[in-house]
Amino acid sequence: MTKYVLKRLGYMVVVFFTVSFLMYCLYNLIPQDPARLELEGIKTSLKPAEYEARYQALREEMGLDDPIVVRYARWMGLAKDRKGNLNGILEGYFGYSRYFKKDIVTVVKDPAVNTIFINIFATILALGITIPLGIYCAVHKGGKFDNFTQVLTIVGYSIPTYIIALLFIYVFAVILRWFPVSGIGTPGANYTGMKYYIDKLYYLCLPLMVMTFGSLGGMTRYVRAAMIDALSMDHIKTARAKGVHEKTVIYSHAWRNALLPIIGIVIGWFLGIFSGSLIIENTFGLNGMGSLYIKALNNHDYDLALAMQMFYTVVSLVGALITDLSYGFVDPRVRIDK
Amino acid sequence: MKKLFALLLALLLLVGCSNGGGSNNEGGEQPSGNEAVTNQIIYGSTTELNGDLGNAWWGNNASDATVRELIDDYSVITTDQGGELVENQSVTTGVTSVENEDGTKTFTVGIKDGLKYNNGEPITAADYVAYALVAYSPALKEAGGKVTANSVKGALEYQNGEVNYISGIRLLDDHTYSITINKDDPTDPDTHFLPYYFDATYASLSPLYLPMYASAALTVKDDGEGVYLDGGSLVASELDASRTIYEGRVSAGPYQLESLDLGSLTATLTINPNYAGNFEGQKPSVEKILIVKAVQETMMDQLETGAIDFLSALTDGSEVQRALDMEDTGNFKTVHYERNGYGAIFFQCDFGPTQFPEVRHAVAYLLDRNEFANTFCQGFGSVVDGPYGLAMWMYKDSKDTLASTLNSYTYSVESAVEELKAGGWTLNADGTDYVDGSGLVRYKEVTPEEAGDYAYNVTLADGRVLMPLHIEWSSSEGNSVSELLAVMLANGDQTKEAGMEINQNIMSFADLLNYYYRDSSVDPKYGVKTYGMYNLATNFTALYDQSYSYTVDPELLAMGYNTFFSVDNPLLDQLSMDMVYGVEAGDDKAYLDTWVAFIQEWNRYLPAVPLYSNVYYDAMNAKINNLECNSLFDFQKAVVYATVD
Repeated sequence: MTKYVLKRLGYMVVVFFTVSFLMYCLYNLIPQDPARLELEGIKTSLKPAEYEARYQALREEMGLDDPIVVRYARWMGLAKDRKGNLNGILEGYFGYSRYFKKDIVTVVKDPAVNTIFINIFATILALGITIPLGIYCAVHKGGKFDNFTQVLTIVGYSIPTYIIALLFIYVFAVILRWFPVSGIGTPGANYTGMKYYIDKLYYLCLPLMVMTFGSLGGMTRYVRAAMIDALSMDHIKTARAKGVHEKTVIYSHAWRNALLPIIGIVIGWFLGIFSGSLIIENTFGLNGMGSLYIKALNNHDYDLALAMQMFYTVVSLVGALITDLSYGFVDPRVRIDK
Repeated sequence: MKKLFALLLALLLLVGCSNGGGSNNEGGEQPSGNEAVTNQIIYGSTTELNGDLGNAWWGNNASDATVRELIDDYSVITTDQGGELVENQSVTTGVTSVENEDGTKTFTVGIKDGLKYNNGEPITAADYVAYALVAYSPALKEAGGKVTANSVKGALEYQNGEVNYISGIRLLDDHTYSITINKDDPTDPDTHFLPYYFDATYASLSPLYLPMYASAALTVKDDGEGVYLDGGSLVASELDASRTIYEGRVSAGPYQLESLDLGSLTATLTINPNYAGNFEGQKPSVEKILIVKAVQETMMDQLETGAIDFLSALTDGSEVQRALDMEDTGNFKTVHYERNGYGAIFFQCDFGPTQFPEVRHAVAYLLDRNEFANTFCQGFGSVVDGPYGLAMWMYKDSKDTLASTLNSYTYSVESAVEELKAGGWTLNADGTDYVDGSGLVRYKEVTPEEAGDYAYNVTLADGRVLMPLHIEWSSSEGNSVSELLAVMLANGDQTKEAGMEINQNIMSFADLLNYYYRDSSVDPKYGVKTYGMYNLATNFTALYDQSYSYTVDPELLAMGYNTFFSVDNPLLDQLSMDMVYGVEAGDDKAYLDTWVAFIQEWNRYLPAVPLYSNVYYDAMNAKINNLECNSLFDFQKAVVYATVD
């Protein structure tokens, strides 16, 4: 097991450097001149001679005339920067956001907290509903409730989240006035303690409802299908023939077998708490990772976008390892140490 | 299972009810949970706060700028409701100027006694001078701040670290400072700073609270050589950190920062009790201003439900119509004004068919601009005939002259054809005479200089070079102006009938800009003259200064200073420079005369075809009174006159 994990970690390092180099090259292929972009806002206040001097100085400072391998090595922290220091990703320095004019770590902090806060609730809520619902539908396959759920989930699955969000806003915020249209807290309220969290949750009710509704379809159907497969296995029939209690058959025998195909998805959801939902965040005015990423791209802040992508690369690599290891915990047949 | 559903439903309802869920607010009410303060305005901004309060030295995010301008005022020179420069009567006892023998100009500024920061500490001339000492410091440059120091005598040497004082700025006493402006740029004697029509802006500084920018106990001193900082030195990291000091931020504007939360993208501002008033002595009465994120898709819902009170500069027809419908309920108001800018077709005038004025004129004639503006702005827009806004004082003062002298290029296929014929576009591809109405593309015999390396030229057997009336148009993806232009111009029957061909090339905006600037530093392909026509939009600043935008200097062209590439029109270059650098400050008549001449020449030469100028609508809750913004006097300036019922 330890050997397997070490081997996988070794692969991860290779994949990380390969992906990071490819990503770095791709972002550098985008036709843009960061030095010119940097000066564009103050161009009208600069006399031509000063503009040129600053432009050349910025190109020098940004190392734009150096070969891409040298720039990559500096960005990664494998080569010394212009000040003679190793200061890159490997040293914990993720770069500088040219749009926000701040270190990337500072820029990402608030959106990351918001995204994780929202996603934890959304994931727990969605799994808390979809797993029991999927099991119930599988056990009562073909019944009225199952048919109704099938229709409801296919509707939820088919309608884009954007439309669901606008519909929910119109119904629950504009017509009924139960929830606020957008935002993450009452402006200027300065709440503290429990009241702060209750206020925050109140503002997040609507986005959470949309996220949950949007995810009901897929997961419920996954769980239902997996459970139907599991319930049709021979050992389930044997257990029932032996007179094992129905709850034991469902939750102990069938559910454990049904877990295998969905465990990857469930773990993926939990790892997904770091990645924001662009549509939800933009529609509800939430300052999260999804909206930050698109803002970085729209404003040509490729250092920020690249740093975020590298973070997601690491999360994905770790997630893949955890998923593979978790299969072993759920299904003894695929344990590595056997 | 039932229990689980019941539990979840109960949880949602509990959370909802605990915050007033179920209440049926009408338009004017506060959202549930927003307590106590009613004398407040919630300003919805579609631009997210970045939280950079660093005096625009680093970045200029619109929402950050709104906060900065609300908390930092007291600049010596400002602009009034019409965009004209005025002395800030609340802070200055007067500004005088004298021209020196060496051609430099010295402004002496008197600062009023009794001015205070929001924390109660006094503001003196030293605080104004401190602004320059920080702005031009080497430490600020090291911290990534971008401030040009060339205009102030001695500031460049100070910025480069050669001296520790600014010889051109003097602290004359506690309430007086002087600032001397160079006649020429020290790095380029061919570039002049004086005379300059807006030279009063050179004298303008704002107070800066030094303890917020440096841990050392710095004081401003002047021993006769110029001003300097005594007691230590500025540190780049401390200057950088000053941008994000939110708690207890010391400022001198109508409002003070109570909090700035980047998690919820909200800034809360309260009245500064020590504020002496704006340039007219006006003090604010609205107790609190909240700046929050407005989501483009749902901002009208936010306004209707009371989540925000004010939305600035609506242009989308459906949003404006909804605002007007909401106004009919009596719970909301709107204020409208002309945009100080326009959307236009921009030509590059140094190659291909668009190098010929007749072709540019023909394009203008072939587009029904009134219909275009009406369709695009959904009834909330107008058309201009030159690079000006309808709110400018220059336009208002010369309205009749412009109306009688400018060509409005009214839609007319006949006029387009006449222009083209007059310009020599009278041939077919084989050199035979063009027959009107044939639907073919017109050709023109061109000289080798005119032909250049335009890709579509045809060389006949007799050596003559013909250029087709084929225009390559660059437009950005997902752009509704481009889509309408394609329908109304490029693919229009009238364009084909006139013998013109416009080929739309859709690309990313970044790609478009690279071609527009011919930025070969990114990729050599951008340096090749490829597209003769672009559709873009631009806004004018309150101070109308078009200098260098029409330069014919090859070096400046290479640096991207004249994106029209109007190299065959030195008059346009001359007028745009003379307008500001050939006119003494205060000589409004000379400025206006040059401005009119510039607009007339621009209209004749037509480096761009103006398409539309929006009418902006501000939508607000009916509780707000006297909030009269315009495109030259925005919310942060107008709000000091506002009241809340």
